Amino acid sequence: MKELVEYIVKGLVDHPEEVTVAETRRGGDVALQLHVAADDMGRVIGKGGKVANALRSLLRAMAAKDNLRVTLDID
Amino acid sequence: MEAPQSIEATGTTIDDAIARGLEALNVTRNDVDILILAAEAGRTARVRLTRKQPGAVPGAAPVEAKPVTSEESAIAQRLLKAVLERMKYKVQIIARDPAELNGYDEQDEPTLVLDIRGNELSVLIGRRGETLDSLQYLMRLLVAKELGHYLHVVLDVESYKAHRAQTLKQLAQRMAERVATTHKPAALEPMPANERRIVHLALRDHAQVRTESVGLGENRKVTIIPQSYKR
Repeated sequence: MKELVEYIVKGLVDHPEEVTVAETRRGGDVALQLHVAADDMGRVIGKGGKVANALRSLLRAMAAKDNLRVTLDID
Repeated sequence: MEAPQSIEATGTTIDDAIARGLEALNVTRNDVDILILAAEAGRTARVRLTRKQPGAVPGAAPVEAKPVTSEESAIAQRLLKAVLERMKYKVQIIARDPAELNGYDEQDEPTLVLDIRGNELSVLIGRRGETLDSLQYLMRLLVAKELGHYLHVVLDVESYKAHRAQTLKQLAQRMAERVATTHKPAALEPMPANERRIVHLALRDHAQVRTESVGLGENRKVTIIPQSYKR
């Protein structure tokens, strides 16, 4: 899931070299922490959170196959 | 003096306000965009009418729409494949003729339809096509960033959208016949905007019924109403 977020986000931002994703797993919960350059925040969140929500929707679809729950936080 | 581009008009009802505005501009309803400013019952209705620009919008040069190039198609397919691989899907991607969508996503601009084929892809469609919409949205952003310009990419899964458009048109006709016979309005299941549009278009010229969307957000649905039905 980390790889998916990394790939998509690097393709959207102006500073792909500053993109990092940390993945922590606790039982059935997967927490993803995404970091991007300050001036790329808008691109990754999108109008009304549209980009971030689309990412979450893909992650949910992926996690459901393995009965996992996933959260994505951006800073 | 030059004729105004845009005016506000008032009336006892919306239709009345529009009629007065059209009269003032000396144009017909097809010549203007109508914005309703105030429409509470029992109060004066207020609308803004703006003349449509004749022909193309200035600045958007009258360039013929260029078809999607094979290079654009190849880049979009490569990006889609890369994303789906990271979602652990082994798939085949096929570029299709937009006409095969049966009107599911109709645009004036050149459209690239990519059909994703493989096993157990229903999760990729999601409830009411939500997951597929998300994937399509993100792919359009990725493709635009890579190409340096927007490309209207439509993603399908195992021709789901193509079939869905067919099903919706048949459903619309069947329900319309029923409404025409019973003279009672009928509501369809809630649907996303593009699917409601298919139903509206399918019944646009129907002699005995008209259609309306009612409800908000997730619950918005098409209602089929007999022409004879009183509001």
